[in-house]
Amino acid sequence: MSVADLPSSAAMRRATADPDRRQASAGWLMSAPALALMLTILIAPVLLALMLSFTDYSLGNPSFNWVGWDNYERIFTRSTYTKMLSATFTYVITVVPLSVGLGLGAALLIQSLTRGAAIYKAVYFLPVMATLLAMTIVWQLMLHPSIGVINRGLEGLCAMPFTRGLLSLSFLGLSPEATWFGRVCTEGAPLWLGDRDYAIWVVCFIGIWQGFGFNMVLYLAGLTGVSRELYAAAEMDGARSYWERFRLVTWPALGPTTVFVVTITCIRAFQAFDTVEALFSPGGGPGKSVYVMMFAIYEKGVTQNLMGIGAAITVLFLIFVMILTLIQHWITERKVHYT
Amino acid sequence: MATVTLRGIRKNFKETEVLRGIDLAIADGEFVSLVGPSGCGKSTLLRIIAGLESASGGSIEIGGAPVDRLRAADRNLSMVFQSYALYPHLTVAENIAVPLRMRQLNTAQRLPLIGRAVPGARERGREIDARVLEAAKTLEIDQLLDRKPGQLSGGQRQRVALGRALVRAPAAFLLDEPLSNLDAKLRVHTRTEIAELHRRLAATFIYVTHDQVEAMTMSSRIAVMMSGEILQCDAPTRIYEDPNDLRVAEFIGSPRINVLPAESDSSGRISVLGKGLPLALHEGRQTLQLALRPEALSLTHHTPLLQGRVVHAENLGHEVFVQISLDGAEQRVVLRTDPAMQAQLHLGAKVGLTFDPNRALIFDAKGQRQRNLLRALQEIPA
Amino acid sequence: MTRFSPSLIIRHFILMIGAAVVLAPFVVMLSYSLKSPAEIERGTGGLFGAQEMMVDPKCALRNAPRRGDIETARTRFPDRDDSTIQTLLTEEANAACEVRPVVFNYRSAFQDAPLLRYLLNGVIVTASIFLLQVLIALPAAYALSKLKFWGREAVFGLVLFCLLIPVHAIALPLYLGLAKIGLTNTYAALVVPWIVSAFGIFLMRQFFMTVPDDLVDAARMDGMTEFAIVWRVMLPTAVPALLAFAIFSVVAHWNDYFWPRIVVTGDRSLFTPPLGLREFQAGADGNLYGPMMATATVIVIPLIVAFMLAQRRFIEGITLSGMK
Repeated sequence: MSVADLPSSAAMRRATADPDRRQASAGWLMSAPALALMLTILIAPVLLALMLSFTDYSLGNPSFNWVGWDNYERIFTRSTYTKMLSATFTYVITVVPLSVGLGLGAALLIQSLTRGAAIYKAVYFLPVMATLLAMTIVWQLMLHPSIGVINRGLEGLCAMPFTRGLLSLSFLGLSPEATWFGRVCTEGAPLWLGDRDYAIWVVCFIGIWQGFGFNMVLYLAGLTGVSRELYAAAEMDGARSYWERFRLVTWPALGPTTVFVVTITCIRAFQAFDTVEALFSPGGGPGKSVYVMMFAIYEKGVTQNLMGIGAAITVLFLIFVMILTLIQHWITERKVHYT
Repeated sequence: MATVTLRGIRKNFKETEVLRGIDLAIADGEFVSLVGPSGCGKSTLLRIIAGLESASGGSIEIGGAPVDRLRAADRNLSMVFQSYALYPHLTVAENIAVPLRMRQLNTAQRLPLIGRAVPGARERGREIDARVLEAAKTLEIDQLLDRKPGQLSGGQRQRVALGRALVRAPAAFLLDEPLSNLDAKLRVHTRTEIAELHRRLAATFIYVTHDQVEAMTMSSRIAVMMSGEILQCDAPTRIYEDPNDLRVAEFIGSPRINVLPAESDSSGRISVLGKGLPLALHEGRQTLQLALRPEALSLTHHTPLLQGRVVHAENLGHEVFVQISLDGAEQRVVLRTDPAMQAQLHLGAKVGLTFDPNRALIFDAKGQRQRNLLRALQEIPA
Repeated sequence: MTRFSPSLIIRHFILMIGAAVVLAPFVVMLSYSLKSPAEIERGTGGLFGAQEMMVDPKCALRNAPRRGDIETARTRFPDRDDSTIQTLLTEEANAACEVRPVVFNYRSAFQDAPLLRYLLNGVIVTASIFLLQVLIALPAAYALSKLKFWGREAVFGLVLFCLLIPVHAIALPLYLGLAKIGLTNTYAALVVPWIVSAFGIFLMRQFFMTVPDDLVDAARMDGMTEFAIVWRVMLPTAVPALLAFAIFSVVAHWNDYFWPRIVVTGDRSLFTPPLGLREFQAGADGNLYGPMMATATVIVIPLIVAFMLAQRRFIEGITLSGMK
């Protein structure tokens, strides 16, 4: 090898002189794009929302006024926004426990099978994959007052004396008005989406329908982590029933999964939008009974160009998410961390 | 405390036979080790005794009563698992208390918070606490009672698992490789402790291990298992000195027993590598295997039975194992000797070996022990 | 042993009822996409529709006989009066417009609205988002896991903090910013907010932590620059993790409706599939339920088929957020 083949000594010194410094500059160079984008796309909007929430800004207006806490005060006093909060919390409080519970139940049932487990798992996971907006439109068609399959089915059940008697509990001597099904038969099937007694529950149902398969899969993953020997030990220790083994082994082992599943389901439930927009836009359903937060942000901030109030709802939303995450961390630190 | 009797236990997993008819009678208070290479079915057998798995055939009696129809929880056995299987969310005290709570409290009394208000729960609870403390003191873990398993070392977890087993007085203790997750030093220590515990409790112990040293040092009897069968069940000394089967001889003992090809001529006289021995069989010509423990070989200068070269030596301080490549044979033999001898045994040194024919173990071609030998030369017909 | 125990039957029974409820809308969607308007109206036709010939109402309207047509047709029907001729011509036109319901529904789906364009937009948007996410996340994740530099902990702290911010929640200020720089109603608006995925950075960083440092040092000894290491050493090792992340990202953005709804207003050529379907729904009357369900089917099917083909990977990918 001749001297010319070697890198010049100056270049070599530059390249090898200080690996630490070289790493540092490469490190900064590589994380700079991500850093800059995180600051502009994620952090700046949070601050912007915080700032806007104290103004009456509208897009296109040359100027704006600082209005102090007015926007927030409105959220907690005006009926539109109290309805929004009540719809949001009704949705979250219904969807979270049910979709977590159903997810756990489905996971336990599926895990106990030797055959067919894969099929059920795939079926239950389908709604998670499917475009929620499209499926909402399908549900809307199914719930259609005259041509929907659901009301047709109810009418069919009413038409047959046996099922009518059974479901309206009239064989117990109850009057037709005493049960829900009896009323359906005498007064006609409900207007699912037009009736304020039903609209929010329909949206909750679609939310649960769509989300519980996700929780099921997380629980199934959690269940595979439960040691087989622990069940054997519980059996040896005298835990005879399924329920005793569930309490002694399964449920504690699923603790971390449950904390995570509940948090993520909460955050997703707070973000419900597609169903409400597809079914109840504009307005947010009969009597604003389905006026959830994300929909309010969209309608106030984007459609009606009331940036200030939209931003205030955004800030409130972020606060909820932060609280949830803090609770999650607190529980994880305290309780479910064994090792 | 009770006897455990197994009759013709078989187990099939689909096509494969894991256990092929196990018969074993364990006396009250005995410490029996099930030892064998992995996959020999020893753990399956233990789980079948425990009731955690069902047998494909055969029957089990504990204390003279058949238990085949009883589930694990009702067989009155305690088990220590390889992974200890401690409940990670419960403290040490709660872990040890589980078998008592499950058996002595009813469902209402076990409920969290309100359970204590149920009549009788308080007194039972106090009894249980006392028993837990007693068990913990026995194992010297009474300072750890409030910790969670996650905060314990492997050795401490192992003790908690033992504690959970001995807090009750079960018919028998089942131990499934309880030492295999401990480091070497702790294993030696715990070995002694378990043996002492057995003597103190005078209870029936069934101990599964793949480690022959554990089996040799702790057991009253060892059952050597291979491919789903018990090859031999005897006291440790018998197993070591008088094995029934070449596989047993090879499995027990470290370094491994030396096996040399041998044969008997038409008159039954046995020779190894062409050297006639003062041993004979009653039957005529056949191929044999002659096995010698490393300590049965000794160095000699005159009329050696075997000759070879030193190829490797391992000095363990108190003894030396010398590997010798035999002339006219492919295999090496291992000789156990004194470190003082090492000077003569430099690499490549030519050595002569001899052994006492009475210490040679003779097996037939299939590995079955041939016990019916004519020993003294004069007994051998010409 | 307990193959047909009552408990097993009960478990299957419960799971089957659940499966029926879960599958019902999919069945209805597929079934309606095959049926004629009359069958949907009357609730007949079973699962697949009778597939009897039907008249395409739009085509019939287009071909309906006009005054001039009647004049020219007089020669063909010499002895008839005008109204009879009109009836005959209408019958002819209708006969020419006969189609099978399934053809009608799917043809309408693609012809009445630029569904292909929507699908293409969906592909462009999801692919750009994923590629840019990787382009930005990989070097950052490498730097955060394998390079020592001052401020690294702070940058990682920021990533963890950003993990807590749901992008949907800050849609309003993002929309405002994009509107201010005149980017609404562009592809850029659909893509930009998603290109920095804190989750992607976090995930890749956790993955790179498991790659031995020796591999990186060996590459350095071979003379690779740090950038070359990212693309030529780390990227290939990260393929399984990237695949899972790709599924996570693509599914989320193919199905996303909220963000496109905000930044795309009116301009159909930028519609993503959910937006297109939503527009269809807004204008749908009884005749169009079939085509609407056909559109829904076309939008939902690609992911479902991909899911069927690679179930395990999909479940892994979508539940990624559960594995941290």
